[in-house]
Amino acid sequence: MTSIALGKYVPYDTWVHRLDARTKLFATILLMVAVFLPMPTWSMTLLFQGALLVIISILLACTKTPLSWILSSLKMLWIMVIFLLVVYIVVPKSENVLGIAWSVNGWTVYWDSFAEAARIVARLVMMIMIGTALTSSTKPLDLTYALEWYFTPLKVIHFPAAEVAMTISIALRFIPTLLEDTMRVMRAQASRGVDFQHGGLFRRIAGLTSLIIPLFVSSLTRSQELGDAMECRCYDPREKRTRYRLFHFRAADFVIAFFAAAILVGVAVTSGLHLDFFSMMGVTTL
Amino acid sequence: MSIRFEDVTYVYNPKTPEPVEALHNISLEIEEGSFTALIGRTGCGKSTLVQHLNALLHPTSGTVFIDTFVNASQKKKRDKKLKPLREKVGLVFQFPEYQLFEETIEKDVAFGPKNFGDSDEVALEKAHEALQLVGLDESFYKRSPFEISGGEKRRVALAGVLAMKPKYLVVDEPTAGLDPLGAKKLMELFTKIHEAGSTIILVTHDMDLVLGYCTDVFVLDHGKVALKGKPNDLFGQDVSRFSLQTPAIFDFAFRLEKAGYKIDKNKLNRVEDLAKAIVEGRR
Repeated sequence: MTSIALGKYVPYDTWVHRLDARTKLFATILLMVAVFLPMPTWSMTLLFQGALLVIISILLACTKTPLSWILSSLKMLWIMVIFLLVVYIVVPKSENVLGIAWSVNGWTVYWDSFAEAARIVARLVMMIMIGTALTSSTKPLDLTYALEWYFTPLKVIHFPAAEVAMTISIALRFIPTLLEDTMRVMRAQASRGVDFQHGGLFRRIAGLTSLIIPLFVSSLTRSQELGDAMECRCYDPREKRTRYRLFHFRAADFVIAFFAAAILVGVAVTSGLHLDFFSMMGVTTL
Repeated sequence: MSIRFEDVTYVYNPKTPEPVEALHNISLEIEEGSFTALIGRTGCGKSTLVQHLNALLHPTSGTVFIDTFVNASQKKKRDKKLKPLREKVGLVFQFPEYQLFEETIEKDVAFGPKNFGDSDEVALEKAHEALQLVGLDESFYKRSPFEISGGEKRRVALAGVLAMKPKYLVVDEPTAGLDPLGAKKLMELFTKIHEAGSTIILVTHDMDLVLGYCTDVFVLDHGKVALKGKPNDLFGQDVSRFSLQTPAIFDFAFRLEKAGYKIDKNKLNRVEDLAKAIVEGRR
């Protein structure tokens, strides 16, 4: 189960870990938006995406997330890259500024197609990096609290913020438990001669049944037990709740939130006004 | 032929911020034909050790020999074919009732033998035999394993392993959560299987069981073998430093000794032995 590295919390004590979950969620969303804003020219795209990549890499390095995690998630992206390339090469584009890559028998492929694919991949990679920086430095429960905090104003329109947060936190809480259950049943069935990796299709399906049914049974039992336990402690989703762990914004939180906002505003203005720094400086680029 | 651990270390979550060393340079030998107990406080590495016996875990360093099978770390040479080993070493986990999944009890018990290549008929035959052994009669065969009581479920799960007729039977806390009579019956079943020629490895927290049924005992503490020997020798000394309790019979004997009785603790395994010893002590 070590392959599930994406989205896993790593208990270090860096300044990113110490930031308020609400700040991190806020900054993450702003940065993600910034990554996806389009730029007027290719050179501007390169400049801004490059700058964002540097900022995000520094952020990620600060969380001490092992680089191998990112690399392993990139491995999964390979199929995506090839798919994108094929789509962009087959589907012709109206605007082509980078020149012709090749032209065979009237089938013309422009460099723009490659650049387009590269841009999407770069965006995805940065998305993954930001997401990993958030999840590896923030406990899942803290994230739910942060979500609940942001949902609270929606209570005015009868949005069940507390219930949604409770549902999410229960789901998150049970991921490791279910993984543990899975491992336990897998070990038990492996002892009874099930081979989950090898053997014919039929055998493997039979093996999986022996895993899935006990898991269903135990998760149903667990949810029943949890429901009973919550009822015994008089859980009522409509009651007003207080919290044992309180969040406090600190100076660092304001600084980070400000930086994230500044980056987004900068990128948004450049994007929205179609500013081209290079032509402003009198340099002609693509 | 025996099970031999040579300098075995096992680390959970290596290469992470929080590696946990569960076994530390363990060397021990479990002899064929013995009824060996593994005891020690919670988290001392018993369950980890047990999982090395049928290669569910591979040592981080060191080697485990199970008869001729070699279980070693990935880097070293080790046997790749696990099925023959798993047929030989039957592992019954804690609360095994969670592993049931089939429509009928007999099918669930026959699942193991079928995985090891038995035909449906032979597997069912073995299943019936195993179910008889754990005390469940024909009326149970066609019932669903999900509609019976907890104790019965446990016996079905145990039968699921017994049906494979393992040479080494490893049971992890089989009596946890059972009523006293059920626990006693279960232990008598293990004794019967032991006398029929199997080697039994029992992980338990119940010292009365260790004294009453086992021939050998290993005390694990913080991932190391702290003590080994015969149960009667072990409980003659103070075991509270390993967070273990002196068996009730020995406790009684100690108090009698304090009061001036002479009691031979070498043959003191069950309540009857204690009664006999008291009678002899009076003479």
